[in-house]
Amino acid sequence: MESYAPGSAHDALIASDGSVRQRWLPLLHQLAQLGREALVQRADEVQHLLHENGVTYNLPNDEAGSRRQWWLDPLPLVISPQEWQQLEQGLRQRSRLLAAVLKDIYGPRRMLAEGVLPADALYANPAFLLPCDQLLSEDDPGLLLHGVDLTRDARGHWRVLADRVQSPSGVGFALENRIAMARALPDLYRRAPLRRLAGFLSAQHHSLSSLSRLNFDHPTIALLAPGPGHDSHFEHAYLANYLNLALVEGSDLVVRDSRVWMRTLGGLQPVDVLLRHIGDAWSDPLELRGDSLIGVPGLLEAIRAGGVGVANPPGVGGLEHPLIAAHLPILCERLLGETLQIEGVERHWCGQPDGMAWAMAGFETLAFQSLDEGSVLISVADLSEEAASQLRQSIVAHPDRYVAQQLLEAATAPFFSRDCAELTPLSFNVRCFTQAVFDADYRFRAYETMPGGVAWQGAPGSAMRSSQCVKDVWITADQPQPHVSRLRRSRQPLVVTRDGADLPSRVADSLFWVGRYGERLEGRSRLLREALYRLLEQDQEGLADETLIDLLHLMEPDSASPDALPVEPFVAHRERLLALFQESRDGGLPMLISRMVNNCRAVRDHLGDDAWRVFNQLRQESARLPYAGIDQGRRSVETLITQLAAFFGLCNETMPHHFGWRFMDIGRFLERALATLRLLRLALIDSAHAGESLWDVVLTTTDNATAYRRRYRSELHPAAILDLLLFDEANPRSVGYMFKRLERQIERLPQPSNTPYRSDEARLLIKARSALHLADLALLARLDDDAEAKSALSELLDALTAPLERLSLAIEHSHFSHVEAPRQLVPMQAQ
Amino acid sequence: MRYRVRHTTRYDYASPVSLCHNEARLTPRVLPWQKIETTELTIEPRPAVVSERADFFGNRVTRFSVQEIHLALSVTASTALQTQGRPLPPSEVDKDWQSAASHAPRLPELRQFQLDSPFIMRESALRAFAISSFPPGRPLLEAVGDLNRRIFETFTYDPEFSTLATPVREVLRARRGVCQDFAHLMIGSLRSLGLAARYVSGYLETLPPPGRPRLIGADASHAWVAVHVPNWGWLEYDPTNGNLPGERHLVLGWGRDYGDVPPLKGIMNGGGVHELEVAVDVAPIGDGDEGSRQGALNGI
Repeated sequence: MESYAPGSAHDALIASDGSVRQRWLPLLHQLAQLGREALVQRADEVQHLLHENGVTYNLPNDEAGSRRQWWLDPLPLVISPQEWQQLEQGLRQRSRLLAAVLKDIYGPRRMLAEGVLPADALYANPAFLLPCDQLLSEDDPGLLLHGVDLTRDARGHWRVLADRVQSPSGVGFALENRIAMARALPDLYRRAPLRRLAGFLSAQHHSLSSLSRLNFDHPTIALLAPGPGHDSHFEHAYLANYLNLALVEGSDLVVRDSRVWMRTLGGLQPVDVLLRHIGDAWSDPLELRGDSLIGVPGLLEAIRAGGVGVANPPGVGGLEHPLIAAHLPILCERLLGETLQIEGVERHWCGQPDGMAWAMAGFETLAFQSLDEGSVLISVADLSEEAASQLRQSIVAHPDRYVAQQLLEAATAPFFSRDCAELTPLSFNVRCFTQAVFDADYRFRAYETMPGGVAWQGAPGSAMRSSQCVKDVWITADQPQPHVSRLRRSRQPLVVTRDGADLPSRVADSLFWVGRYGERLEGRSRLLREALYRLLEQDQEGLADETLIDLLHLMEPDSASPDALPVEPFVAHRERLLALFQESRDGGLPMLISRMVNNCRAVRDHLGDDAWRVFNQLRQESARLPYAGIDQGRRSVETLITQLAAFFGLCNETMPHHFGWRFMDIGRFLERALATLRLLRLALIDSAHAGESLWDVVLTTTDNATAYRRRYRSELHPAAILDLLLFDEANPRSVGYMFKRLERQIERLPQPSNTPYRSDEARLLIKARSALHLADLALLARLDDDAEAKSALSELLDALTAPLERLSLAIEHSHFSHVEAPRQLVPMQAQ
Repeated sequence: MRYRVRHTTRYDYASPVSLCHNEARLTPRVLPWQKIETTELTIEPRPAVVSERADFFGNRVTRFSVQEIHLALSVTASTALQTQGRPLPPSEVDKDWQSAASHAPRLPELRQFQLDSPFIMRESALRAFAISSFPPGRPLLEAVGDLNRRIFETFTYDPEFSTLATPVREVLRARRGVCQDFAHLMIGSLRSLGLAARYVSGYLETLPPPGRPRLIGADASHAWVAVHVPNWGWLEYDPTNGNLPGERHLVLGWGRDYGDVPPLKGIMNGGGVHELEVAVDVAPIGDGDEGSRQGALNGI
């Protein structure tokens, strides 16, 4: 605190007379009481929580090492009630203004006809979408959600930097930041008379419901997202969960009869309202970008026909254009008859003589943005003399392609250093949110603001996702604020229809593969652990272990048969085992993990928070693998086994045992049965080195060594192993048990009604189970010394494996209905 | 003149299509010189949902969805209409072209036809190509007419050369293309000079060689250009034929470029590869041989 020395510009913490501003005092006092050591601990805890919940922006390629972490400052940005009241009014006015502009530019275009707005604001604006003209009906509020980026200038005045109306992101981060802070610094949070965020979000549900035109009582609302490849995927999943919306992708939706439907296990289910988190131009490949694979063909027509409400409506992105921003003060006067309350940054279009004169007069001190798509703001001060003169020439040649804007001298706010040792005054941005709210009869009432937001460190206008440090935003209140539970109390009776048939088919598909890859990973990890043990023994005793060769065979699906392999020296074995830790290795652990990760991401909103936490730990553990040696590798593999067990255990305990969970379970047990059958075949038939050592591996990798010893209290005997791992229907590691479980799960999957026939997958299982039940146990008991018994076992294993291998396809065929991606009749995208 | 226009588009799919959403711009516009007597759109299989609206430019759009499983889709627009010659601007409005170029930015509705559009970007190469027809002070109509003639005379009509994705720059370099390319080229040239120009989609009655009967279905969709003449309105030019459109040019609609007025577009689920057949027949009513022969189908 002593070293905190803001410059001449306004500072959020220290007033111009050098005193600390009143609103910070209680907070600073409490932080001081906590002491630096405790604060560092709490700050670590905050990062830890953020990371485990995984909401932060991250890159789509999922190498845990390359994921950028953002740091949440334990010191929030504090805004006083008086200050907020003013800001809030300004924000609400801005939303009303943008809604009015939206309705005008896609409606009568009065502002164009009257010469208030230059035609270029629309026709040189790539986000002004002609097919969205006249899309909104009279009573549509137009703008439902609005994000506003602000900062304070050197004089301390709030200034708007940008409006975010095309799927404004950040509400999820704001919530997440708040929850992490509240958990890590509970005293601080509880005692602060602080405005809560929950009310805003529960109102959002009501606002979205108000857009429903066909179903007023219990509209189905879905969050339309671009999918797990997108860097905001976790925010989408988080919001969907929090707001109790179905998280869907374009391919989950279809337009029929001018309505939007969701493809679910139980068939098509209507969707009444979409919270859109895909870009405007990508929303409907029929009328907008024809090459969009994430949109919903026919969506615009469904909107026109009143079959679906969409927030925000497609086309809204046109409002984000710099030419519109430049004209907001005059638009506010003309459309609302009011003065714009929060100033933006002064901007002028060079296409008008006055604007051009302003731009040229202050050229060196200004920044310029070209109207070409994707262009960035260039500050003349940052350019070389030559580049500046080039820019000037280009502006003179095409003045109508440039907007000039003033550079903002920014205020500062206190930011903690990472070791929490000192506070530094730095410039910052804040994103605030407003939403349209509706009365009980779903009539538009007003815009309200979220009392909070996200702040991030950086020059005014810098992107949130490029920032290193974010802050929670605290709006203090005069009185303590009631805590609002996240689970809203419904004003209407709850509809209990959730049998799980409304699960999107895509989600069922992903859950099935979470089960399969998760189980494959576990099996592979167990084998690898055994192999590493043996390698270590080999190193110490100098003896080549033949079992290791068999294990390698099991783990390297593409290698030659075990008999053909020569006994290789220690180094070669080590290389081969360590290769399984490498990302590029087919069938190696990192590859399996990344497949599991991809499927898990896609179903984030169906997994419990604890399962997700464990899953994130598993991902972190896996990031270490490629750099691990034998010892570290063995420990990591052990951790993976425990984490996988914890993950699936939590899934079993917390996921409703509906269809989604069943598909995951089927995936796991199908995979486990196949792996066990392979293991038994190797140990009892194929291996040239069959014997106690290998049988021991069978029991340890299935974690049945203890069970075996307790039951048989004897030397290892193949017939006893078979009894335990094949026939015993009470042992969860036996194939018999797995078949029984699969059969029960499959019986309970949704079936097309009115069919007297058993499904393919049910028949395949009956086939496999009968083969097991009809096995000649007396013959198989002589496995030790009888060639006939050996060939009978071989036949039996084949008879069990074949139907299982077809089962996966049968399930995909019956339930996942992979729809072909919609395509254009004639490719229509201009290059 | 009276005409009956039949425009059939047929898609044959390799695998079943479970759903398709389409937009057709196949109904000619009502204009002072173009009266629509009857018009009908026949879609096979019957669409479950059909609606009509005017698009941003006032063109009539029919939106339809086929929701049953189908292996072929055919769309036939059949229109009877009457055309007259277009009015020509009086000579007193024909001022020098530079004043026309400075006129457009002042009218918001013209500005969109002056700026870049998805298929047409203004370029210095296009300006350089056009400028020899536009010496300073030359009257607008004379200059545009000269450009129209030059495209007709120096470019080769070559259906093999271009596709929808061929950029205007390529057309300029190779000096070949089809009507749509020439229209885009001319629009791009005019816009590069600061003039407002739009794309017109429609049909042209083709006359059989002397002494030969008219072949049914041998016609095709056609495209040409309109340039804005200040204080008067839009005047059409046909760079593919080097003339001014008249009674034989039937107007479907207009936009900034082809992308605004494709006769038919759609998105389908399934289908695999498909075969496309388009047949256009522009038949004068009352010339005796209407519908009497089945001609060759002309694929685009």
